[in-house]
Amino acid sequence: MNAEVLASVYASTAIGVGIILAAAGLGSALGWGLICSKFLEGIARQPEMRPQLMGQMLFTGGLMEAFPMIILGMAMWFVFANPFADAVKAVMGG
Amino acid sequence: MSGEAQSPAEYIQHHLVNWCVGDCDPVTHQAAGFWAFHVDTLLFGWLLAGLMAWAAFALGRQLTTGTPGTLQNVIESVVEFVQTQVKDIFPGSNPLIGPLAITIFVWVFLMNAMDLVPVDLLPLLARLVGIEYLKVVPTTDLGTTFALALSVFALIIYYNIKIKGPVGYLKQFLFHPFGKYLIPVNIVMTTIEEVAKPVSLALRLFGNMFAGELIFMLIALLSFAWWMLPAQVALGSLWAIFHILIITLQAFIFMLLTIVYLGMAHTAGEDH
Repeated sequence: MNAEVLASVYASTAIGVGIILAAAGLGSALGWGLICSKFLEGIARQPEMRPQLMGQMLFTGGLMEAFPMIILGMAMWFVFANPFADAVKAVMGG
Repeated sequence: MSGEAQSPAEYIQHHLVNWCVGDCDPVTHQAAGFWAFHVDTLLFGWLLAGLMAWAAFALGRQLTTGTPGTLQNVIESVVEFVQTQVKDIFPGSNPLIGPLAITIFVWVFLMNAMDLVPVDLLPLLARLVGIEYLKVVPTTDLGTTFALALSVFALIIYYNIKIKGPVGYLKQFLFHPFGKYLIPVNIVMTTIEEVAKPVSLALRLFGNMFAGELIFMLIALLSFAWWMLPAQVALGSLWAIFHILIITLQAFIFMLLTIVYLGMAHTAGEDH
């Protein structure tokens, strides 16, 4: 009974983490794609602006990465220090 | 590492624990009270700050306009870089912003750069001295990133009140972004905007560094067989090269956003 409940908690956490990571990867890839496509368009229109545009692209890319990184951190927290499993263990007394 | 075979999950969990002294949980070694100190975070943070200060001080005593040495060239280029950023972005004049920006940039960069030291090297040396857990990158500790972000937040509030006056700052809460008929909405939205600044600063830096360190550990776990060695070296090098960019970028973003937020605190009376 104990092992079954704990196993089902871990299984649900694993599925949840999979969805979180998929969303993080999707959001990050789409974001970078949009930023870099505009960057390429900008270079095509004004090739002499390339250094400034590159700096701005990296900067806005770093800003955009913030939230995928934050939810990646939370997903890793669920994997390595599962709070749901800890709660179940506390209720079950070990 | 400790004689018996560790599972991969145990290896990673071992490397995710700080060297906690004081009010620590004896089993999980996490902080369990206010008087818990992550000594490894404090140690490496102060060590790097001391290194910065000593390098600047030692250089300051032998500045030369003739043929400058390497260290002087490097430090001069960093100072000029930060100065250009501050001049471009910061309206008005405040003698604190330049030193604050360069401190944040160089210190966060140095703390992040500890991630490039091989994952097991310093923890192994620490184990020989008797320290069980060691995390060498201070910015993977939420304490560090929130300390930096909350200090910046305190400065933002201080300069808002100093430049705009308490009444002016309060009016910003009441009448931005909508007009005077939507004051409750204004209060909620402006509060969220103000609180999101330090929270996003701290979590952005923490998330990037935590993810980077985790991938270094996963690459270290690739050595389960002798024929995986070339793959591990190749992947490790690629990720380390990419991580150099991430380290610099995150330090630069933290500095830039600090300058932008403090600049916003200095512009009295926005026009709508």
